[in-house]
Amino acid sequence: MPDKVSPIEALSPASRSYGEIGPVSAEPRWAMVVDQERCVGCWSCCVICKSENDVPLGMWWNRIDTVGDALDTPYREQGELAMHWLPLACQHCENPACTRVCPVGATYSREDGLVMQDSGRCIGCRYCLVACPYGVRVFNWGRPERPTEFHTGMVEPRPLGTMEKCTFCVHRLPDGQVPSCVWSCPGQARIFGDLNDPQSRVSRLVRERGGYQLLEERGTDPRVFYLPPRRKRGLEP
Amino acid sequence: MSAAVGSGPSVGPVDSAATGAPVTVAPAQRTVNRPLALWLGLLGLGLLIGLGAWAYQLSQGLEVTNMRNPMMWGLYITLFMYFVGLSAGGLIVASAGRLFGAGGLKPIVRLAVLEATVAVLLAAIFVLPDIGRPDRAWHLFRYPNFHSPMMWDITIIVVYLLISLTYTWIYARADLARRGSWLALGTKASEAAQKRDERLKLVLAGVGLPAAILLHSITAWIFGLQISRGFWYTALMAPLFIASALVSGTGLMIILALIARRTRRVAFRDTLIAYMGKLLAIFVAVEAFLVFSEMLTAAYPGAGFEGDPVARLLTGRYAGFFWFEVGAGLIIPFALLVVPRLRRNLRWVAVASVLAMVGIFVHRLNIVINGLSFATVPYPPGVPVGTVQPVGTDSFALSLFYYPSWVEWLVALGVLCFGAIVFTVAAWRLPLREAVHG
Repeated sequence: MPDKVSPIEALSPASRSYGEIGPVSAEPRWAMVVDQERCVGCWSCCVICKSENDVPLGMWWNRIDTVGDALDTPYREQGELAMHWLPLACQHCENPACTRVCPVGATYSREDGLVMQDSGRCIGCRYCLVACPYGVRVFNWGRPERPTEFHTGMVEPRPLGTMEKCTFCVHRLPDGQVPSCVWSCPGQARIFGDLNDPQSRVSRLVRERGGYQLLEERGTDPRVFYLPPRRKRGLEP
Repeated sequence: MSAAVGSGPSVGPVDSAATGAPVTVAPAQRTVNRPLALWLGLLGLGLLIGLGAWAYQLSQGLEVTNMRNPMMWGLYITLFMYFVGLSAGGLIVASAGRLFGAGGLKPIVRLAVLEATVAVLLAAIFVLPDIGRPDRAWHLFRYPNFHSPMMWDITIIVVYLLISLTYTWIYARADLARRGSWLALGTKASEAAQKRDERLKLVLAGVGLPAAILLHSITAWIFGLQISRGFWYTALMAPLFIASALVSGTGLMIILALIARRTRRVAFRDTLIAYMGKLLAIFVAVEAFLVFSEMLTAAYPGAGFEGDPVARLLTGRYAGFFWFEVGAGLIIPFALLVVPRLRRNLRWVAVASVLAMVGIFVHRLNIVINGLSFATVPYPPGVPVGTVQPVGTDSFALSLFYYPSWVEWLVALGVLCFGAIVFTVAAWRLPLREAVHG
C-alpha cells in the first residue's frame, strides 16, 4: 500500500494500545481464538474485514454461520433452546489442503504459519477452493463492484479471475496490531496472539477453556481455535 | 450420426472387402464431396459460436457461468475428465489388443489411436475456459508445484499427447510415404521399413498402455485425494475412472467405426464390431460392479461423512441422474450386448454404445456436481453465496444448485466442434484401417 496512510498511525494512543498484540516470542506462530460464548453474531468483524481488505460486494473473507439448521435461529439441545454462532474465515492450517494442490504454488504457508495467496501468480483453476474443507476461499467471478467510488482497503485489490482469502491482516502485523476483526469485535470474542509463547492469552485460553479446532479429524491442524460456550445461552430461564 | 447408426450389417462394398483374407488399405479420399463440405461448414459455425461465447466469458469473467464459490467446478471440468476418459479408453483397448495378441482388434488400432489423440487434445483445451486467467496458463510451466495432482495431470497430458501423436504418425507414415506426402518426413515405404514399423508399433503399444492407464488414474486422483470431499475420497476412484474410460472409449470407437464404414467404405468387418460389442459388455459389467461396491460401502453405515451425498444420489435431488446412469447407462447396454442374437445386429450394438457413452457422461456429472454440492462445515451458509435456491420458507437457509449457463453450453459446443473438425480432416486424409497381413 504505497501511497496510503496507514490508519493505525491516525489512531489515538488509547485505540492503538487496545489493538496491540502484546509481547511475542522470537519465532511467533500466529493463532486466533474465537470465543463462542461471547459471539453474538453481529457481523461487525465481517463488515470491517470487507472495508479493511477492499473485498468487493458479494464476497466475504469472513462470515458468521449459525450453529443449528438455519441462520440466526436457535437450535434445540437436550430439550432446551440455545443459540450460538460460528464465525468462519481462513483457518490458517498448519497442514493446509489448499497449498498442496495449487498447481503453480500461488498459495503457500509462511514461516510464521500464515497461509498466503499470491494473486499475481494465481491462474484461477479453483483447485484450492475444491480442496479447502472450510469453504472460506473466495474467487473473483466477475468484475468487482464496490459500495463506494474509492477503495477503502489497506491492501491492493485483487484482479478478476483470481482467488483471494483472509490473511490474518498480514499488513497490520508489522505494526504490532491485531487483525481488524479482532480489533472491531464488540463482544471481544476474538483474541489474536502467539501460540509459541505458552503465556500468551491465546495459548492460555486454548489450554484452560478446551479450545477445539474445526473438522479436527481431517488433520488440517487449523490455527484458529474455538472456545465452546460454558454456559448455554438459553431462551428459557 | 443417425445415418451411421442406421447402417445395417450388410453394406455392399464393406462385406465384399471383409471376406477376402489380405485386405488392401483403401486409398484416402482426395476430393471434398458435398456432405463433407456441409458437415465441415456446420462444425465451423459451431466453432465460431463457441469462440464468441468464450470471448464474452473472457470479457465478463467466469461470472457468466453458473459456477460459484460453493460449486466451483462444473461442465468444463466434467467434459475435461470425460475426454481424458475417451482418450485413455480407446488407447488402452487398442494397445492391450496389440500387446496381448488379441489379433481381432488389429484393424481398429489406427482409428483408436486417432480417437485417443483428438480426445486428449480436447481435454487439454477444456482446461482453458475453466481457468480464470487463461493468459497465465504459462505459469503452469514456469512455477510448477509437483505436490499438486493437477500438475501431475498436466505433465502426463503433455507426455501422452506426444505419445499419441507419435503413435498416429508411425501408423500413417508408410502410407504417407507411398502417397508422397511431406508429412512422411522422409520415410521410405519399403519391406524393411515395414518390418521396423511393426516392431515400433509393438513398442508404442507397450508405452501407450501404461501411459493411458496413468493418464486416467491421475485424473481420478485430482478428485480422489481430497479429504474435503467425502464422496470423492475413496481408493476406488482410479479403478472406477479406468472402468468408465473403457466403457466410453470403446463405445465411441464402435460409433466411429460404424461411421467410417458408412462414409468412407472402410472395411471394418461385422465380426470386429460385434467383438468390440462383447468387450463393451464386459467393461459395462466392471463399471456396474465398481459403482455398486462404491455406493454400498458409502451407504451402509447410514447418514454421516459419506452418507449424505450418497442419499442425495439414491433418493435425493440427483436421484434422476443416478438412476438414469444405472438404467440407461449400465443395465440396458449390458442387456443389449450380452445376448448374442442382439449383439450380432449392429443396430443394437450402436444403440448400446451411445447409451453407454451418455451413461458415463452422466456418471461423471454426478461425480463432480454431487461431490461438490454439500458443505463440509455442517452449518447453513451465513451469506447467500453461489447460485442458490431457497429451501422451504426460510429464505436464508440456502442450498447449492448448479446447472450450466448458456455460455458454458456454447463454449462446450465450440470445443466439441473443433474436435470434430480435427477428427474429420484427419480421418479424411489418413488411412483409417490397419491392413491385416495373412
